[in-house]
Amino acid sequence: MLKIEDLHVEVDGKPILKGINLEVEAGQVHAIMGPNGSGKSTLAYVLAGRDGYEVTKGRVLYKGQDLLEMAPELRAAEGLFLGFQYPVAIPGVSNIYFLKAALNAIRKHRGEDPLDAIDFMKLSKEKAALLQLPDELTKRSVNDGFSGGEKKRNEIFQMAILEPSLAVLDETDSGLDIDALKVVAEGVNALRGPDRAMLVITHYQRLLDYIVPDVVHVLIDGQIVRTGDKDLAKQLEREGYAEVRDAQQL
Amino acid sequence: MIDPNRQTLLGSLPSSFETGPEWLRALRGRAADTLREQGLPTKRTEAWRFTPVRSVANAEFSTAEESAPSLVSTVPEGVTVRSLRQVLQAQPELLEGRLDLGGAPTHFAALNTALFSDGLWIDVPAGVAIEAPIELAHAIRTSSERGVAYPRVLITMGDHAELTLIETYAGEQVGQLTNSVIEVDLGRNAKMSHVRVHENAGLQVGRVDVRQEADSLYRSTVVTLGGALLRFDVRCLLQGKGAECQLDGAYLIDGEDHVDHHTLVEHRAAHCRSAQTYRGIVSGKGTAVFDGIVVVHRDAQKTEAHQENRNLLLSETATVHTKPHLEIDADDVVCSHGATVGSLDEDQLFYLRARGIPEELAHSMLTYAFLKSIVDRVSDEPTRVRLREALLTRIPHGDDIREVT
Repeated sequence: MLKIEDLHVEVDGKPILKGINLEVEAGQVHAIMGPNGSGKSTLAYVLAGRDGYEVTKGRVLYKGQDLLEMAPELRAAEGLFLGFQYPVAIPGVSNIYFLKAALNAIRKHRGEDPLDAIDFMKLSKEKAALLQLPDELTKRSVNDGFSGGEKKRNEIFQMAILEPSLAVLDETDSGLDIDALKVVAEGVNALRGPDRAMLVITHYQRLLDYIVPDVVHVLIDGQIVRTGDKDLAKQLEREGYAEVRDAQQL
Repeated sequence: MIDPNRQTLLGSLPSSFETGPEWLRALRGRAADTLREQGLPTKRTEAWRFTPVRSVANAEFSTAEESAPSLVSTVPEGVTVRSLRQVLQAQPELLEGRLDLGGAPTHFAALNTALFSDGLWIDVPAGVAIEAPIELAHAIRTSSERGVAYPRVLITMGDHAELTLIETYAGEQVGQLTNSVIEVDLGRNAKMSHVRVHENAGLQVGRVDVRQEADSLYRSTVVTLGGALLRFDVRCLLQGKGAECQLDGAYLIDGEDHVDHHTLVEHRAAHCRSAQTYRGIVSGKGTAVFDGIVVVHRDAQKTEAHQENRNLLLSETATVHTKPHLEIDADDVVCSHGATVGSLDEDQLFYLRARGIPEELAHSMLTYAFLKSIVDRVSDEPTRVRLREALLTRIPHGDDIREVT
């Protein structure tokens, strides 16, 4: 599904990612854990195609294609989804109709007919219920006046509608209380399946109690310093990033 | 074929005014004298610094026979709409003191005052509240490709009267000039919603002059969808306690068009509120100018005045001059002003694209949303829908984003 090879990325001339190697198979959930400033969000943005990140070395293959050559909308059309850490508000652009336009753009790319208003509304109602997102919220402007928790639920709501092949979730747990976290995790788990892969980026182990990963990577200072199973996350929680990093250096 | 009747604008001023009531002849005479003395504005005239009107001042035009706008809606019961020419012939005393723009008109407004031959007088008597909008269409009716028209409209509203007026300016050709003056007198507690849509290809200089009594409300929305050279001056005189005006504008400028909005809000009485919100998109080699002044007189305590002008520049060759400013002589006031010139928000653009929206479509969505927020403040729904459609026809992929925003 996703193969990252020796990826080096700079922002404003400053190296942030310093040789990332990562392979995610269909059906797997990988977690990337790391302290602040380790390059987690940079990795998420580079995968989604945001401007301002210069790849100086390495490559990323997604479904066998050169991901870094693709425009952001093409990546989305090919089934890549980024759950933003800080979803931006877009006053004046309707959450639900923009999502319908997005879904139909993706369907068009796949050679499928657009979903009509009735079918889309049915789908939207179903997914909103799953995320316990009030109907009223889905109809507002994108993230406009949403609380932190509502924004995160809205991200997963969008993911549930777009049904991506690869979801990159950037700190989806930040700013969520425990109840909201459970709802979001349920939404994510409902999408797990043999054809999908997920890259869950988080600072804390807490989210991984609810979205149990197959593989856990520790990202420190732009490099993956350790890879293990879900128990690695628990060890990190107990011992802290410093311990893990120091252990690595010994 | 060159029209033999063509003259420069100042050259078309007669040496004396022989027809009409005496007060009007005097008014026209004073306006003509002022013009002969001061001339038309140039780039050295402060308020016209960014408005390139020299070509207009030097050009020769032939005056259109008909200049009154046409009424394209029915006249609701209780309202009278009369031809200014007819009233000036039959009952000129009704209009005495009403067509002088509250003082001594200058520049293009003086030219209109001296030369208008007809127009409309809309009167909504005290207590009459009209829900359905009255609509006027302005279009130059002349075969001359260098025609000039001087439309004149007077709106008088009694205490507690209510009216929605829509004016459309369209159908002009490049080189034709419309020099309009609209005067509005609002009685106590009167409410007027005034929508102007400009779609002309030609030249226009327009003046709107509003006098407001206590607790009256004037809401104006001007939507400008292009024009070679458009210059609008709106002046609101808040002279009664508790009066309120809301001036909104949305402009979409492309090609080599020049659109220029000047506002002057004068707070002369206490407890008045004013808000100006102008937003525009400028691309191509277009130019937008916003020059807004709020004057708060010494006795206008408890004034609340806000001014905002936001511009999106979509090309490197587009230009914006923006200058909101305040002159405050009272001490107990809440005032704010601000201006921004920027490009589309990169974070918003990326968010939309990351969800699969093609870049061009994302551009259109954000552009439309930016302007639509102005149009959505119009309370009459059919008008709101019409204005949205007018914007959509001017925005790429308009059909695809209709429901999105």
